[in-house]
Amino acid sequence: MLTATKILQKTPIFNKMFPVDESDGLEEINSWPALMIVTSFVWLFIAGLLGVAMPLVQRTGMDTHFFYQALTAHGAALAFPFSFQLMMGIGLHRSGGCAGKPIKGWLPAAIYICMNLGAALLSAAILIGGLSTSLVLMFPLPVVGVETGQWSFETLVLGFTGVGLVLYTMIIFYPIQVLKMAFFGDVREDLVLSARTLNDPGMLGMVLAALVLLIMGTPILIIATYVLVALFGIIPLDAVAWATSPVVFEFAFFVFAHNLMEAMALMVISGIYATLPLYLADGTRKLYSDKLANLALWILLLTSFSSFLHHFITLFPNLPATLAYHGNIMSWGTGIGAAISIFTILATCMKHGLRMTPGLMMALMGFTLYILDGASAVVTSNVAWSFQLHGTMWQSGHTMTVILAMSMMWMGVIYHHYPVMTGRVLEDKLGYWSCGLLTFGSTGAALVMLAGGSAGMPRRFADWGQGGWMVYGDAIQFFGLIIGVAFLLYAINLFKAQKIGEATRSAAPAPAE
Amino acid sequence: MLDSLYLSGWGAFGMTIFMFIPFFVVFMYVVVKKSFSDPNPTTGDGNYAKAEWLWLGFVTIVFVGVNIASIGYMPTVATAKAVASGEKITEVNFTAESWSFDIPEVTIEVGKPIRFSGKSNDTVHGFAIYDPHGDILFTMMLMPGMESPTSLIHTFTEPGTYLVRCLEFCGLAHHEMRDEIVVVGSKG
Ligand SMILES: [Cu+2]
Repeated sequence: MLTATKILQKTPIFNKMFPVDESDGLEEINSWPALMIVTSFVWLFIAGLLGVAMPLVQRTGMDTHFFYQALTAHGAALAFPFSFQLMMGIGLHRSGGCAGKPIKGWLPAAIYICMNLGAALLSAAILIGGLSTSLVLMFPLPVVGVETGQWSFETLVLGFTGVGLVLYTMIIFYPIQVLKMAFFGDVREDLVLSARTLNDPGMLGMVLAALVLLIMGTPILIIATYVLVALFGIIPLDAVAWATSPVVFEFAFFVFAHNLMEAMALMVISGIYATLPLYLADGTRKLYSDKLANLALWILLLTSFSSFLHHFITLFPNLPATLAYHGNIMSWGTGIGAAISIFTILATCMKHGLRMTPGLMMALMGFTLYILDGASAVVTSNVAWSFQLHGTMWQSGHTMTVILAMSMMWMGVIYHHYPVMTGRVLEDKLGYWSCGLLTFGSTGAALVMLAGGSAGMPRRFADWGQGGWMVYGDAIQFFGLIIGVAFLLYAINLFKAQKIGEATRSAAPAPAE
Repeated sequence: MLDSLYLSGWGAFGMTIFMFIPFFVVFMYVVVKKSFSDPNPTTGDGNYAKAEWLWLGFVTIVFVGVNIASIGYMPTVATAKAVASGEKITEVNFTAESWSFDIPEVTIEVGKPIRFSGKSNDTVHGFAIYDPHGDILFTMMLMPGMESPTSLIHTFTEPGTYLVRCLEFCGLAHHEMRDEIVVVGSKG
């Protein structure tokens, strides 16, 4: 029995939500992914509590440092151990079933341990040690914070160790696991659930995303490793001055952070391309056009590389104007990729009709949220608007929305994978309710945060009263609570899932891909 | 008209809504129709190809149009124009340090090009000017350790007291990092 199976069976809540065993012969592709998915929900719960705490701290006039701690821990939990881990779980399950390769050995264990241990260390540094740098570190703030007595050197080392472990998971271990399954090793026929080649849009995105993470992440990984080794006192701090130069660190960081988001988008759009055809009314199981779908992925891939420059438009002229314009154009180019995706999805629905299920609905609603986010992202990447919006709540709205949109699409796709993993099916009514509330809450929160940014409300700012922005804060709180209820219903659905065949309403799952 | 589109956060909001709402309506219409009222295939391959070209053509035209029209409103372009005009530029060289600004006492006049050049002494800071109505005029990012300052040329159109805020998160008193500049009417 795999270690992951043992953990799933022995952990109290996990064994109710994701009961995985050896009986179906698919343990080797089910266990690690299921463990990652269910662990990601623990982080979602933590992130949710911290998210609710942020407006509450402002409303109740608590000390502002609580706000910055909650902000940092909320963002970190949401981005890495929740959404990225959720994505890894489903991504690995899909790769395993498409390529017929087991997910076992030290690599998935390293992925799981480094992600969760790293996130735990980082969270401890933030919540106990007071490390408040926001999700993106704002380098050199972590170091300046030590110099100015905002947090201790030990806290910095603890936090950076956590970040380092998380980076190793995202940039090395996970991509290698995916590439290993796509290109190496023998196919095990007993594990093939639905064979896919690289020509299939549902597989292409997985592999492109792994390559993006590996290639675009390597610079920051090298820098982070050097900094960590110096922080541990193994080499002198002077020796890493080249890496701790703010501009070096920040650019390497955003090359990765931006492409991380784009990689996750590639992967989730690819997940939609793989799942949608399974729910067509006429049973054709084909997209409107595989070629068009792949074209969208290639455009997303190419434009994402250099669109990260839009993070630095307001650094002018230290970011030369020409690079600002380049970032502007590439960002809107990403929009062309999205426009092609929109067409492919709608044309597929029109051409073949839909067999609607809560999972498909959730994935499609996640896609609409992704488009709202995409619109907000390209607008703020325009050079003129960037000078209006950079550093405002607009950007927080964008970051939150892209993470929610991708998570929502994955949570929709889970409806499809869940029966394979657990032999149980989720209930429809609860499914539609959680989908509806999540759509309402997320869209509302997104629009309110964008509006706050338009009104000049700064992001990462502990005093919303200053410019009369508390009204946006209250609205964010309201929609945030609705999102919380939606997630709760989703979790209840996992708890209450019934064995296939025993379910009162048979939602007989299509064969998994 | 274009001023309020490109020189305001609300213009950006309007553009986002302009792109999202029509998409959302059409998307929901198709999804609901093909799920519940008419899940049968809609045939006619020629129409799909035509729709594909129309849609991508429309998107491309909107994207290109919106960005071309924005060029005149980019602060980078305004800066280049002010330099090219040869007009005398008033220099405001300021610094930022956790958690305050050091802005020199310089007379800032309506209608005169002002070059704001800023450096940070410790961590990344922002320098955002809010007009007397509370709207952002522009924001700048100041990164420590750079040889030359972040800098922009802006010409004010309205006298009054303008609030300056740091918009790049810089630590526990980030929200207290504020200052003011006063813009006086044109002396001719
Ligand atoms: Cu600051």
